Amino acid sequence: MSIEFDEEGFLRNLSDWSETVAEEIAQSEGICLNDSHWEVIMVIREFYQTFQLSPAMRPLVKAVANKLGKDKGKSIYLLKLFPGSPAKLVAKIAGLPKPDNCL
Amino acid sequence: MSDKKSILIINQSAPYGSSKARESLDVALTCSIFDMPVSLLFIGDGLFQLIKGQSPELLDMKKHEAMLTALPMYDIEQIFVTEDDLKTNGLTEQDLALSVNVVSRDMISSLIQNHDSVMTF
Amino acid sequence: MKFSLVVHASPFSEQASSTAYRYAKCLLSQGHEIYRVFYYGDGVMVANSQIAPPQDEANLPKLWTELANEHSLDLVVCIAAAVKRGVLDQNEAKRYEKDAANLADGFELSGLGQLAEAIAISDRVVTFGG
Repeated sequence: MSIEFDEEGFLRNLSDWSETVAEEIAQSEGICLNDSHWEVIMVIREFYQTFQLSPAMRPLVKAVANKLGKDKGKSIYLLKLFPGSPAKLVAKIAGLPKPDNCL
Repeated sequence: MSDKKSILIINQSAPYGSSKARESLDVALTCSIFDMPVSLLFIGDGLFQLIKGQSPELLDMKKHEAMLTALPMYDIEQIFVTEDDLKTNGLTEQDLALSVNVVSRDMISSLIQNHDSVMTF
Repeated sequence: MKFSLVVHASPFSEQASSTAYRYAKCLLSQGHEIYRVFYYGDGVMVANSQIAPPQDEANLPKLWTELANEHSLDLVVCIAAAVKRGVLDQNEAKRYEKDAANLADGFELSGLGQLAEAIAISDRVVTFGG
């Protein structure tokens, strides 16, 4: 069974997400996932399950600070792990819905 | 005082009967991302947005209550309901999913006066 | 004075959409500035170039396009609201793998940040519908 992605590399069916799929998406973005990446991915997945929203940068930073401590709850830390726009990139790797470009 | 314009969003629509509640929430979250101080007032049927224990999966819709509980993550903490609306609907603060400021109906005019901009949904 | 308008109303089922257009014209004729018109909710449907009203009824997308051209107006359509209602520009049509774009001339798809900015910058924000 093959997993389908759209032209931008987002999952067509969110239920296809698995840790292997996450690694595949990350790789296509040039990121090799390690434990530091994974704990952030789990924070954003939990955020989505709790609030049914994909977080923007500030709430993501806040959620990471709450779950993983203040040292990690900084935009610079997230930028290092997920260069460019961390909130979007983590969401993509974590299998959250494609952002509606609203911001 | 912040030099950013403050916004009061008045919510008077029930959570699932129209798309108003969701549209309002998206505006609130966006304004907060742009560092504008955001206050939310829930009046009339808008109060039903805040009720605990919503089950919109029966309607195949997203849970508004869950999204509202994210407001503190976006630093939106100024949330107002009126005493009259609680009473009219037979509700108390304990029935609500969020902690709110309960104000009297007379306070609405000063809330409006104290914000630079007002939007209604 | 610097105005921004927010249009929530759907173009044909609510009068508020055409009221917004007439209000905009009136503001301009009195020498006011329109910083931005922001279309949100069902209001976005007015930016659909495929709208084909009867000949003896107003063609709002066309009227807005003409007004925008004449006064260089910034007509911003909420991208999330538009995409879910099938109002797409070339980019979004491609992004969502749809056959065609249908955004009328003079309109632009963008995010809610444009509304927040309009609120921050304008002296008055007037809402139509909703």
